[in-house]
Amino acid sequence: MTSEDIIFTPLKFRNLTVKNRIFRSNISGRFDNDDGSLTQTRINWECKFAAGGVGAIISSYVPVQMEGRIIASYATIHRDDFIPLWQRLGEAVHQYDGCKFIMQLSHSGRQMDLPGVHNADRRPVSSTSRKESLHGFLCRAATKAEIDKLVADFAAGAWRAREAGLDGVELHAANGYLFTQFLSSGINDRKDEYGGPLENRARFLLEVIRAIRDRVGRDFHLQVKLSGIDRNNVIPWEGKGNVLADTVQVAKWAEAEGADAIHVSSGSLFPHPLNPPGDFSFETIATTYDAMISSGVDAFRNFLLFRYRLLRPIFRWLWFRMKKGHPIEGVSLDESRAIKAAVSVPVLNTGGYQTASFIREGIHSKAFDGVAIARSLVANNDLVEQWRSGRDLPERPCTYCNKCLLNAPKNPMGCYELIRYPSRDAMVEELMSIYRTRATLNLPPV
Amino acid sequence: MPPAEPPVSEVERALHRRRPWRLYPLVILVALLLLIGLITAVIGISLLLRLARDSARTYDDPVAHFTHGSIGAEPESGLPYWVWQALPRIYPDAFNGRLDYRAFGFLYEVKDGRQSDLPLGISRRNYRGVELVWFNCAVCHVGTWRQAEGATQHVVPGMPSNNLDIYRFIRFVLGAAGDERLAPDNLMAAMKAAGAKFSPIDEMVWRFYVIPRVREGLVARASRLQQFILEQPPWGPGRVDTFNPYKLGEIKVKLQALAPYELYGASDFPSIFLQKPREGMQLHWDGNNTSLAERNLSAAIGAGVTPATVDHAAVDRVAKWLGDLRPPPSPHVVDAAAAQRGRALYMTNCASCHGHHTNGQYVFEGAALGKVDPNSRLGADPGRLDSYTAEFRTHQLSELFAGTRYRFKYFTKTDGYANVPLDGLWLRGPYMHNGSVPTLRALLSPPAERPAAYVRGSDVIDGVNGGFISPPCEPGRPLASGFCYDTRQPGNGNGGHTYGTSLAPAEKADLLAYLLTF
Repeated sequence: MTSEDIIFTPLKFRNLTVKNRIFRSNISGRFDNDDGSLTQTRINWECKFAAGGVGAIISSYVPVQMEGRIIASYATIHRDDFIPLWQRLGEAVHQYDGCKFIMQLSHSGRQMDLPGVHNADRRPVSSTSRKESLHGFLCRAATKAEIDKLVADFAAGAWRAREAGLDGVELHAANGYLFTQFLSSGINDRKDEYGGPLENRARFLLEVIRAIRDRVGRDFHLQVKLSGIDRNNVIPWEGKGNVLADTVQVAKWAEAEGADAIHVSSGSLFPHPLNPPGDFSFETIATTYDAMISSGVDAFRNFLLFRYRLLRPIFRWLWFRMKKGHPIEGVSLDESRAIKAAVSVPVLNTGGYQTASFIREGIHSKAFDGVAIARSLVANNDLVEQWRSGRDLPERPCTYCNKCLLNAPKNPMGCYELIRYPSRDAMVEELMSIYRTRATLNLPPV
Repeated sequence: MPPAEPPVSEVERALHRRRPWRLYPLVILVALLLLIGLITAVIGISLLLRLARDSARTYDDPVAHFTHGSIGAEPESGLPYWVWQALPRIYPDAFNGRLDYRAFGFLYEVKDGRQSDLPLGISRRNYRGVELVWFNCAVCHVGTWRQAEGATQHVVPGMPSNNLDIYRFIRFVLGAAGDERLAPDNLMAAMKAAGAKFSPIDEMVWRFYVIPRVREGLVARASRLQQFILEQPPWGPGRVDTFNPYKLGEIKVKLQALAPYELYGASDFPSIFLQKPREGMQLHWDGNNTSLAERNLSAAIGAGVTPATVDHAAVDRVAKWLGDLRPPPSPHVVDAAAAQRGRALYMTNCASCHGHHTNGQYVFEGAALGKVDPNSRLGADPGRLDSYTAEFRTHQLSELFAGTRYRFKYFTKTDGYANVPLDGLWLRGPYMHNGSVPTLRALLSPPAERPAAYVRGSDVIDGVNGGFISPPCEPGRPLASGFCYDTRQPGNGNGGHTYGTSLAPAEKADLLAYLLTF
């Protein structure tokens, strides 16, 4: 490729310049300590992608409160004494040709897959007290005081990220987590100033943006990840939630409050038939979903639907009926294009990107300014370098089997698509590669 | 007992609180889908089993098989058993107020004071889950006799059905086709009154499928046959037109396409004793077929089977049994010397055409026995002969059982009537193919002296004249019982067969004495 390749053109945000248009999207595994402190394994994980040439890494969700963990054993940013740990991670990533690191600040709300010892005994807050529809995760509606505390904790999280020398933060306001639970008309059933019309439902998100700006100033990169369309009716009797026009409006408000970029995804729950798009391996989930049975009141029912072949068609119908008519690569491209047309800050899009020419066309046609990729990079850590060498698709592309996703509750994150490996041993070896650089072990003080 | 351990997680706490009966939408959906699937499967399988059903009872006793066994007439021609049982309740006038079919001359077995539920000659078959009834061979070939009025009635399988008024029965059934009283509400009520019990599903099946189909079948049959039947002079008991309904009903020829001369073929039911010695003879009144098997199959079609529904095994079983079925010996007491003299006369004048009766047994022997006598010589009423046409024969041979080994090959168009064997002669009155001559004595009279009209329908044997008691009558005048047969109606003529009419009166008396022993 020539040096004019748009993919390798720097993307300039207000407060941040990224060397190319490829962002590692939010993905991680259960690499960290139960208290929320990060480990050498996480540093190894992120550096794989930094070494592969991406312009920036957007972290997987990083809870701003212990009460907002999605899966236990994921690193958090709820304590000041974790700042040096995140600082090390930032330094590690920066080593690779100035790769940037953006921390995704998040709160699970009711979408808490593995509560862990901290959260098993309490209901997480949400906009609503109605349980989550797919797994039956329990929750309770947050009080005004709790909302105020959440706003302050997000601001504190952003401040810690900045203190750690990281390059920016992203608010995870997509895919069904706490912000979505407020934004979505299919979920939010509040009667107060945080529920009802869109401006009320967006209030929590906008208050957080404002509070972050108050806390960290105007010159720290802040982007917001939004779901273009909720499509909340995976369980058919649930409301459909927000439509594209709602999200376009929220994006405009976010920009006005000081967001430096919008990151477009889709779906008001995670996973969703369209996020990540692709297949659904019943054989895989039958062996991993058991880790989640105790997490929700309907989870055992799901386990039966996954485990027994005779019952699988029920879930298959529920899941695959939503996918009809949607591509895998660029699944939310139209939403991204609509949002980009409505805002002046750069727009990132995620959803199955793997073909260089397709991404170039998206940038040239102003559908987005850059793309965030998770699965295709998990499959080929050096995807960007393969493109640079002239390939349009990697040699052994991601098959979108989603086995990486379905293994997440139980096993180390990585590519589980056996057909991409010469052998199962090779697959396990690749999965274990994240443990290769070991931490220095210290002796406890006597 | 130690205190119960509290739940560890919020989810467990919620599950503990959950009431056991509380079902969740997806569970309900799954249960509903399973239920619908199960119901569909049950209905589907039972429907398939039902639609595949085609079974009739097998009888070990050959007589029971003959009188009650199915030959396959029910699926295409039959009525549902419960409709059959309900009809007397719906049409009390046609049934003389009785709940059985005796008004039409059907016969019933009575055992220990209880009458059988179906008449002789009516068989049952479960076809697609519905019990159907219709004719078998016995409906036309079981008759009765008694020594005197009020004496015991003897039922004789194989003799002509001297009681059955099939014309009246057909006319009644066709008349019911378009009748509002057969509407589902009324019919269902009558069937229940007759003892039918329906499950709610069966009730739906009957109301919306079985009854409409029965009525459609009747309407279709009426559209083909009713005009013909209404234009016929009533046939009277013991008689049927074999081929014209066959042309209209099976071959589906239009009535307008038939020539006027071929429309009057009503004839007596024949006896069907001792079939084996008849193989190779010219069978049927007009001798149009020399194959017993073909004649049997053709007769079965008359009873209502179709090439698709006929139960060949059942027909063959009847045929085999009939092969050796002997008629009961004549109960008439005659002057032995007169009979001996009569025998001599018979051997000279009659035996070559009609065989003879020797040592208490009929002997199938005679140069012209079972051969056709041209009607130009015989001079009998041509109605029956003319009703079987060359054109119909073409249809018969090319359409019925075409492409199977049962295809008709032996039918021919003849020019007269066959010389029939006289076994069981005492049970076969009235005489001639059309039953136009009431007694043997009348048959020995010149046509002009034979009764112009006489009463049919009695089963009291006539020990003096032969045949059954048949007093003269006046057509048009109501009778207490029986049917006034009018020889002046088309097809009913009593001319011809003048053999023996010129014998001296004493010779005729001797000959009659001999004939009464047959």
